[in-house]
Parts: sequence; structure tokens; C-alpha cells
Amino acid sequence: MSSISLVQKRPFNSQRFWRQNGRLIAVYGLVVIMALIGVFFTERFLSERNLFNLLRQTAFLGVVALGQMLVVLTAGIDLSIGSLVRVSVLVSAILMSGDSNNTLPAILITLLLGAGIGFVHALLINRLNISPFIVTLASFVILRGVALTISTAPIGKASRETLLFYDQRVGPFSILFLLFVILIVTLIFVLRRTIFGRYVYAVGGNQEVARLAGIPVQRVRYGVYILCSLLASVCGLMWLSRMGVGDPVIADGLELTTITAVIIGGTSLFGGRGGVMGTIGGVLVLALLANLMVLLNVQQQYQGLIEGIVIVSSIALYNQDTH
Amino acid sequence: MNQPDTILDMGRISKAYAGVPALREVSFSCERGKVHALVGENGAGKSTLIKILGGAVQADSGEIRFKGRLFTHLTPRLSLDMGISIIYQELALNPYLTVAENIFLGREPNRAGVIQTRHLRQQAAELLGKLHVQIDPDAPVSELTVAKQQMVEIAKALSRNADLIVMDEPSAILVGEELEQLFKTIQSLVAHGVTIVYISHRLDEVFQIADTITVLKDGAVVGSRPREGLSHRELVQMMVGRSLEEVYPAPIGQRGEPVLVVDKISNARLKNISFTLHAGETLGIAGMVGSGRTELARAIFGADPISSGTITIKGRLVNHASPAHAIRNGMALVPEDRKAQGLFTALPIRQNITLPILNRLTRNGVLQSKRETQVVEDARHKLSISMANADQEAQFLSGGNQQKVVLAKWLETRPSVILMDEPTRGIDIGAKFEIYQLMRHLNEQGVAILMISSELPEVLGMSDRILVMRDGQLVGELPRETATEQAIIERATSGVEVS
Repeated sequence: MSSISLVQKRPFNSQRFWRQNGRLIAVYGLVVIMALIGVFFTERFLSERNLFNLLRQTAFLGVVALGQMLVVLTAGIDLSIGSLVRVSVLVSAILMSGDSNNTLPAILITLLLGAGIGFVHALLINRLNISPFIVTLASFVILRGVALTISTAPIGKASRETLLFYDQRVGPFSILFLLFVILIVTLIFVLRRTIFGRYVYAVGGNQEVARLAGIPVQRVRYGVYILCSLLASVCGLMWLSRMGVGDPVIADGLELTTITAVIIGGTSLFGGRGGVMGTIGGVLVLALLANLMVLLNVQQQYQGLIEGIVIVSSIALYNQDTH
Repeated sequence: MNQPDTILDMGRISKAYAGVPALREVSFSCERGKVHALVGENGAGKSTLIKILGGAVQADSGEIRFKGRLFTHLTPRLSLDMGISIIYQELALNPYLTVAENIFLGREPNRAGVIQTRHLRQQAAELLGKLHVQIDPDAPVSELTVAKQQMVEIAKALSRNADLIVMDEPSAILVGEELEQLFKTIQSLVAHGVTIVYISHRLDEVFQIADTITVLKDGAVVGSRPREGLSHRELVQMMVGRSLEEVYPAPIGQRGEPVLVVDKISNARLKNISFTLHAGETLGIAGMVGSGRTELARAIFGADPISSGTITIKGRLVNHASPAHAIRNGMALVPEDRKAQGLFTALPIRQNITLPILNRLTRNGVLQSKRETQVVEDARHKLSISMANADQEAQFLSGGNQQKVVLAKWLETRPSVILMDEPTRGIDIGAKFEIYQLMRHLNEQGVAILMISSELPEVLGMSDRILVMRDGQLVGELPRETATEQAIIERATSGVEVS
């Protein structure tokens, strides 16, 4: 995000402010508008239960959207997220099989599996020079097949702790939501204040310039793809805690939803531009949209239409200020 | 109101981008059948003026009178239809179509939608014949040299019956005799009544070809003068307000220990190249585009592999496997293509400058933004980079300032050897002057510089020694004292057919 201001005080320049923050303002403006619609046109929007659920829902999409964003910032893409979430929930449910003693090993193995898949993605892109789109498309198909092979019906069982975790609260907030917030803060810090973060933007900004500047382009790629797949496995574990079983039909099309959130949040698909706050804005827009359509009893067949309109108009809105 | 022979008259054109004025009441007029040069530093407003003429952008105020018709603004279509053709630096050709297809793209001779191939080729051949160039109308454009591609662009303009052809820095992509061929073409076009607007940085060319010269500076016209009676000195002063003296600061004249020894290196593009670079020296590399100059720098820097030979830095064998390796050994490469290889255009200036030295700016892996700001501020002062602020994206800087950012990035790594490939390409005279001074300053500190350049005055003015390349080989070494443009060109071209 180019909006960080680390330089000494300088006079406020409204034009620059708009140019640098226009996208963020646009997306959060949309969030506010949708929240207002919820407040004035529905009865249950402000209920404690709805808000609690809404925030918890954002964590599910948010975790994977942030992973996708990291990859997209390097001018890559990860199409395998949905399939990997599915495989993760099945694997962890089977490994746990309702036994508390298995909780920790099952979680660790699942995370290791995710990291390993991310590693393979980066390996193929780095070594064989195959485009990320193709590598992760293949991975999407393979992992979906793996999930179908494992089971077509719910399988395995979460341990008691895992199940209880889902409804755990800290103060008024869901623990899942709070962990999500910690992830957000960490990623903002990593992207803005660490060398790895700078390198992510540099690789996405221009790979050749980065290479000639001595940046370890391949290592950066390992980093983002491993993180992205790791977060997909985390999302799988969250699903396990929610459903209690390994459900083979979850997360259908999730990879596209993450890409949508990333785009709405102003991150460029060509890499090098964008950031965490924008992506979170994109996640909020999509989560609110889903929530409102339920509360407003919008018929299923119109939901896709409305979602499409929101995507196009949110992007049209701030594409104007880039001309 | 108009004199009968004035073909174009742009009056009091103003244009601002996001509140920043790019042109302020600029008036510009051309006589029919003459060559009118438009000169000025980068950011002076030349391209904006041309874009307004081509209809690519609209002026905020002012009017355009072309062939007696008055317009407040033009559209690209209207501009073309009126007989204005603009040949941009980046040629607008489809590399996979043939020459003839490119010339008539969008206007193919056809009958009921079926292209009449024979007609197409015939007409293309006629046009190319008028330009006196040997180009096969059936050749795919990708197989032509850039010089010939430029001719195809000119043929395209003629096929549209252009009365006015604007050439935006046409010489930037040409070398040696290609330029003379272009000048011949321009003269024959002018003889047929076509008007040429010639944009260039290179003043020698402007004096050679133009009838009238208009100087733009900071979005306003400094003056418009006939070439007759205008001296080189006056023109430079109009452009920069600085005289031509001491453009090339004198070399420091003494060289130190050898720092870089290249011994018989070869790869796909290089044959058996050996030379030694000494501390405090500027070694110039001259040669035609494609002679292997850039490939040499890339091989030394580890950007391309070498198949045989050795590279030694300060007595240590290095043979760089990657640029990262070369950087650790105290090397830097300022590449030829700034936007594709040297600069992160979409990233803030701050990040561009500090990228290779982030390790020095962290504590426990966390960036110390105060120290980073200090580094950026120091670089900004040392190189007098003019920028709104360090968080500005690098793409919004002028060419000269962009190049300074690239240099700042490398200077922070404190290199002992800097490879500079076309260090002043596409930047204005003022910034050139500053970069030359910086190079001398680095030499004084013992930094060795390998400078590749197509501009012979620059090679002659800056180098302690000059190596000439041809076909991937070194074909001569000239000491500063006896080197001449003639001697360089002879070595760079002999045995090579120049079309």
C-alpha cells in the first residue's frame, strides 16, 4: 500500500490523499453503504447474534483471501485454494476421528500438508517456469479429485476441543474473529516493515528489475505460495471446527471468491500494487452482501446477478480516478 | 488571418493533468513543406502537445487550425482523416503481419470484404519505392530492423495521404547510417510538400535537418527561431539556461589497481572477450546496437550465463552465477532499458532506492523507517533528485530523475565496479550533466565504471579508454587522446553491411 506515510510532516495535499487512498475509500465507502442498508432495511442486522456471526464469517473468507492476496501481489495466482480447503477438512477430520489425543497431531499434519502443497506450487513455477495459473489450475483439479477419492459423504469427526473452539468467545468477539484480526495485523506488519514484505512488492512490480537488483525472486515465491496454501489449510481446520465432520462439499468455488475479494480491494492482478486493508475491505463487502441477501430474503436466482453487479460497479467506481 | 503557407497553427494551447499544468498557452505553427524541430527537456511538454495534435488527449483551452479548418479539439480519427500522422517512439506495428498488411491495416483494399492481396502488395511496394527503401512487402515486420520498421511507419503515414508527419524521437532507435537514410527520406518527403515535425534530444540532428526550431521548457514556448542564424550555443542556452561548456568534466587522469579482469569470456552472443578495468577509470564501450555491448555487461553481472572464460574481481575469481552474487562482490548494473530492467515504476521512490540494502536498514528483521528515510533523503540531496515526496510512484518522475533513482539505488550498495548501459539515454541535458559529474566524482573515489553508449560524443567525452565491439567481439582499443568518432565508426562497422 502506498498510503503509508513515514516521511516527516508535510502539508496536507488533498489531491494526493485521494490519489493514494481513493481505492480504500471507495471500498470502505461501499462497506458503510451496505451496513446502512442493513441497519435501515432489515430488522435483524444489528442483532448481537447476526453481528457475531457476520464477523465470524469474514474470518473464513478473510484467511484465504489474504493468502491469495500475497500471491497476487507477486503477480501470481492460486486457483487451488478451494480444493485444498476441502482436502484439509477431510484429512484433519479423518486423522482426528473424534479423539482428543489426536487433536494436535492432526492439526500439525494438516498444516504441513498445506505448506507442502504450496512448496510444490512454487517449485514447479520456479524450476519448470510454468505459469502460476497453469500450475495451480492443475493442482485445483488434482486436489478436487483427491477429495472425491477420500469420500463423497461426510467422513471423520472433530475432537471435542475442536468443536468447542468454534463457539469460544473472548469478550463479545468470536475467538476465530480475533485470531483473524491478529493475522491481519501481522500481515500488515510483514508487508510494510520487513524485507520479505518489500521483496513481495518488488517481485510483483517487475520480476526482471527485481532479479537484476539481486532480490531472491525464487525464495520470495516459495514464501508466498507456502503461506497461501498454509492459510488454505487453516481455513480447512476452521471448517472442521464448524461442521464437526469432514464435509466434502464445502468451499466450492472459494478460490474465485478470494480473487474477487482481492480485486474489489484494489490489489492489481498484475502484481506489485495493493495491500491488506483493501483486501479486508473486499472481504467485508462480500460477507456483507451475503448476509444482506439472506436477511432481505433475496431469491437464490438473483443473488449471483446482484453479486456480479456489485463487483463490476465497485471496480468501475475507482477505476475512474486512475485515468 | 493565416499566411497561405501555414499548414498548422496551434494557438494558446493549455493543458493540465490533475491540476498540474503541462502546457501553458503554447502556440506552435508550421509552414507547409518544411521541417520543424520541436526540442526541449523531458517534461517540457513536447509529448503532450503532440498528443493533443494526434487527438489522444484534449486540450483544456486553445485552438488548432489545420489546413484552414478550425478545431477546438481533435479526436484520433479526425486527426488521421485530416492528414496528420504521428510516429511514436514505440512503433505501432503488428510484428506478425507482413509489411504490406501493416501499412494498410484497417484500410485493406477489398471487394465485398475479401482482401485483394495483389492490390495490397502492389500499393505497398509503390509506397516503399517512393521512400527509396529496399523492403520486401511480404516480409513479416518482426524480421525487419527497427530502422526499416520505422520506414514502414512512414509508408503507413503516406498511404493515409498524410500532409503532416510528426516523428517523436525517431533517432533514438537508429544508429550510424540508418539516421542518414532517415534524413534522406525526410528530405524527399519535404520535397513532395509533406510537412515534418521532428522531435529530438540530439541537437546536432536538429541543426542538420530542421528549417525552424521551437524550444519548449516547463510547458511554455521559450522561442521559435529559423535555424539560419541560430547557434548551437544559443539553442542549448534556450533549452537549459546553462551554457555548453564543461558538459563533460575532465577525466581524473590517473588510474589505480586493476579491479575487474575479464579473460576470454564467451557465450551465445560473445566471443573470447578480454579486458581489464582499473580503479578510478571510466572505460567506454562503443559499437552498433546488437554488437554484443549489452550482452557483455549482462554476462559480467551474472544476468546471462557464460560458457567459458573467467571474471576476476580484485584478484578473486567470481564468474557470477546470478546478479545477487555480483552485487555481493561489489558490482552494480545500470541497465539500458530503465523501465523494463532498472526501475520498479509502480513502487514508491523510497522502495526503489533502498531495495538492495534492506539488510542494513533492519533490526531483528524489522525495517527501521527512520534510517530508511535518512538514506532516501541523503540520496535525494546527493543526486538532487526532484520529487514531490519519497512515497511518490517512480513512474511519475521525469526520465532524468528516474535514472537518478536507479543510480541512487546502486550507490547505496557502495560498489567498486559500476556497469552503465546507456546511462543518459532519453534524459535531458541538465540531468545528463549531473550524471557526468557524478561519474567523475565516483572515479575520484576509486570506483571503476564501464560505460556503454551509442552517443559517440558521450563516449569520447567521458572515457579514459574506449573499447569497440562488433559481432560479439572486441575489435579495437582506442586511448582517449587519439580517439575520434571516425575511428570508432570505422572499427564498429567495417565488414558489416549497414543498410
